[in-house]
Amino acid sequence: MGQIILGVGDYGASNQSGEEVKTFALGSCVSVVFLDPKTRTIGMVHVALPESSINKAKSAEKPGYFADTGIPALLAQMAKFGCNPKGKGMVVKLCGGANVMDTNDTFQIGKRNALSIKKILWKYGMGAVAEDLGGNFSRTVSVSVDTGEIILSSPGRPNWKL
Amino acid sequence: MTEKITPEEIQKIISSVPLLSASANQLLQATTDPDHDLMQIVNVVKTDATLTARVLKVVNSAAFGLINEITSLDRAISYLGERLVVGIAIGDCAAQLFDKELKGYEGEHGALWRHDLRTAIASREVVTQSNSTINPDLAFTAGLLHDIGKALISDYLQGTASDVLQKIENNEFSDYLAAEEELIGFDHPRAGYELALVWKLPEPIAEVIRFHHTPAEASEEFRELVYAVHLGDNIAMMGGCGTGADSMQYMLDTNYTQYVDLHPNALANIMLVVNEDYEKLERSFSEAGE
Ligand SMILES: [Fe+2]
Ligand SMILES: [Fe+2]
Repeated sequence: MGQIILGVGDYGASNQSGEEVKTFALGSCVSVVFLDPKTRTIGMVHVALPESSINKAKSAEKPGYFADTGIPALLAQMAKFGCNPKGKGMVVKLCGGANVMDTNDTFQIGKRNALSIKKILWKYGMGAVAEDLGGNFSRTVSVSVDTGEIILSSPGRPNWKL
Repeated sequence: MTEKITPEEIQKIISSVPLLSASANQLLQATTDPDHDLMQIVNVVKTDATLTARVLKVVNSAAFGLINEITSLDRAISYLGERLVVGIAIGDCAAQLFDKELKGYEGEHGALWRHDLRTAIASREVVTQSNSTINPDLAFTAGLLHDIGKALISDYLQGTASDVLQKIENNEFSDYLAAEEELIGFDHPRAGYELALVWKLPEPIAEVIRFHHTPAEASEEFRELVYAVHLGDNIAMMGGCGTGADSMQYMLDTNYTQYVDLHPNALANIMLVVNEDYEKLERSFSEAGE
């Protein structure tokens, strides 16, 4: 089966039957998954940080790295597959955004990533139908074109679906 | 059912691990000495033919993208910097530990080395971006060794991971450290500290190994360094780079603010730099590996 493997800050889409899009070990990073039922296209972006304003050069080179530049980049990529460029009709799922065991909020990049992503989705009038966010564990995430189903895994835990 | 590790047993485990080479030991001593210079590092490496060859191999690996090959050791060392040279030396002689598959943590092959390398980079970056007076090379080296104890106790934890996670979730264990202690009578920082004593590691590094999850307990003299590596470790885990089931299952000591002065935006910056540096370093080490 064909696989598109995404590293940190990468995004990708596919409409190839039998193919899947996968990203390894999301800690505080969040994977945003778009499913377009009309064109049977799936897309994913591996977001590492909430805002591109901290490093414009990096966001120009790798827009997927940040929530505010990553979502537009993924939408543009999916538009090449005939999807609506504003994300109309797409199903959204979110995974990742884990945090360390922390009693104050300084180290909660995972939470901030998720918040920032939701804010941007909201601007597009999009909202997640399913999410698997937070907790204190990392997640490996894969989505298949054929089923649109997300399989999650983490060491020491049985795999689960979203 | 797990077996408890007795103090005699931990010594037996340690005795089966090769000692550090003389040159690695001298490099660690030099890195810890506040008055040393790069010439001292060069002189140590010169006495070790294998290490010299490795240093040249790493500096000329594709990851660094040098146009002209570096053939002089002096130039190679000043290009790579002290911490990478020390890292190469330790990585080589403790390869048996770093490369060990951490079955007890359900870690993937090579996970310990990758986590340690990432923690090393993150600890260095915490020190640099918080305007600390700590030597960044020392933070890097201490980060590289902080979890070495996991390689010693991992086999004894086999088959426990899913149960441990369940019990942490139900608050039966406060975190993974408590689980290790409860299940096998030794947690990984204490096991690592025993190894540090046998290896005669410099005191600040031994202290980091022993207290990296409980930095408040470190002696005042080294506490700032221990906190820096404590944060570096957490940043590595947040980057998705842990050693398996235990990733992100340790308490963050939020009193770090008393020792490490991190601007609110610094964390995101650090994570960015760590990601980029890590990708490059990981590549250069693995390209240069045999
Ligand atoms: Fe640890
Ligand atoms: Fe660690």
